[in-house]
Amino acid sequence: MMIETHGLSRKFSGNLAVDGLTIEVREGEVFGLLGPNGAGKTTTVRMLACLIRPTSGTARINGYELGRDNQQIRRICGILTETPGLYEKLSARENLLYFAWLYDVQDPEAQVRKYLQMLGLWDKRDEPVGIFSKGMRQKVAIARALIHEPRLLFLDEPTAALDPESAKTVRDFIEELKSENRTIFLCTHNLDEAERLSDRIGVIRQRLIAVDTPDGLRRGLFGRQTVVQLAEVTPALVDALRGLDFISHVNQDGNRLLVSLSDPDAQNPVIVERLVRAGAKVQYVSEVKHSLEDVYLTLVREETQ
Amino acid sequence: MRKALIVFRKEWREILKNKLILYTIGVPPILLAILPLVMMYFMRNEPVDPEDLAMYAQFVAALPWLTPQEVVMYVLLNQFVLMFLMMPVVIPVTIASFSIIGEKEQRSLEPLLATPIRVTELLAGKTLAAVVPALLTTWAAFAIFLAGAYFLATPALLRALLSPMWWLAFFVMAPLFCILSVAIGVVISSRVNDTRVAQQIGGLIVLPVVALAMLQTFGKVLYTTQTFALASVVLAAVDVLVIRVGSNLFQREAILTRWK
Repeated sequence: MMIETHGLSRKFSGNLAVDGLTIEVREGEVFGLLGPNGAGKTTTVRMLACLIRPTSGTARINGYELGRDNQQIRRICGILTETPGLYEKLSARENLLYFAWLYDVQDPEAQVRKYLQMLGLWDKRDEPVGIFSKGMRQKVAIARALIHEPRLLFLDEPTAALDPESAKTVRDFIEELKSENRTIFLCTHNLDEAERLSDRIGVIRQRLIAVDTPDGLRRGLFGRQTVVQLAEVTPALVDALRGLDFISHVNQDGNRLLVSLSDPDAQNPVIVERLVRAGAKVQYVSEVKHSLEDVYLTLVREETQ
Repeated sequence: MRKALIVFRKEWREILKNKLILYTIGVPPILLAILPLVMMYFMRNEPVDPEDLAMYAQFVAALPWLTPQEVVMYVLLNQFVLMFLMMPVVIPVTIASFSIIGEKEQRSLEPLLATPIRVTELLAGKTLAAVVPALLTTWAAFAIFLAGAYFLATPALLRALLSPMWWLAFFVMAPLFCILSVAIGVVISSRVNDTRVAQQIGGLIVLPVVALAMLQTFGKVLYTTQTFALASVVLAAVDVLVIRVGSNLFQREAILTRWK
């Protein structure tokens, strides 16, 4: 296990920023942490990256105990903060070399070259980062987070404030990192990004509301649903479906029937057969897939209420 | 301390790209070295003003091995010891504020603190970056002054200028002032977000030095080796106090959660 936390909490002047967070993140997993502003995402990252101490609770990073083995934890973690935080008068190369030295990288020059080339910035290596675009700065910040080849990478809003093209470049790069078996802890507001990149997602609002794969969260919240489009819906057709014991709900929406069930792969053929026998003209059948946005908003609203 | 040197080197890379800081480091020492020499050049053949002589009468009695003219020159040059001591006060606070507030402005502290550097190493690197140029320029200015004085001062006056008081000022008090200045720079930088504001506040710490110089100019006191030795002890105690305050503020947690 790369990250294990038990009841991790943090208070600021009496206010709970993070409340009893208990999570496990496996090695090589991309774990997305979602939550509204002020939900405690950045505080969580700061605690796990040994930047601030938890008020209570425990955590282990790759077996190292938070609080006791902070220096070892810092060595195996890379962090991309919300803002790039680069030294604007220094060049991209100088920025990266500084961090390579601080992380005791064996061959700093080679490592700097590797990441600047990988991110397409090698030709700009000697230019001060103050003149770089936001996207270029973010690339340098990502290179800085990776300069010591960390096994665990914290990415806090990696594509926030980037134009769509730069955001795509950064997302593509994170996808490449996934294939390198690095563990990535991703905090984001971008739900599409979270769904595309994360193996599992945790939703936080001071405390952890839910954690699962994106599909698991959908199923847990909305169950599974099939939509059947018919030429015409009659009460007899609705009754025909209600007679099936594996169906929990049937709702009509115009000429569409929304059917809640547990195993669409096995049960959809039975539904279609029953409808056809009852005289229905089936136009199409598909699974209803709720967006992660629906899942997220429902979870957060439920938590607020 | 290897990491402190890495920080020192990076700080210097940044300083060398900042003209304002370079002027702050370079111009005052040159002026402070040249001004007393110019004064000495013009005073050495001029008769002593009777008013000056009256003001410094007690000093003439205290320094019987100098002529009255040499006493007046000595007292006036003594002020420059204190002026020279303004450099280790002003330069470090300027560099420290630039360095720490610069990190705040650029939001580079969080990724930096996430590295396996100890905060003591980080603070030591930043302190070195502020202290080394201040001391080198102070000593360089003093060396230029002494070289000029070798040609302009009478042998008796030169001997007086090379008294332990001057060595104490440059090799004990100057480093102590530097450390005090950096520690004050850290304290100010933790509460202020603008480099210029920090430098203006930091500039106020020269006022006690100026006040001490004024006391001698107006004939109220003549500083001696004993005075400077006592001042060094007091300064060392103040250093310890301010360093403790600065070190408490310069902690990962405090920087990220309590600094403005």
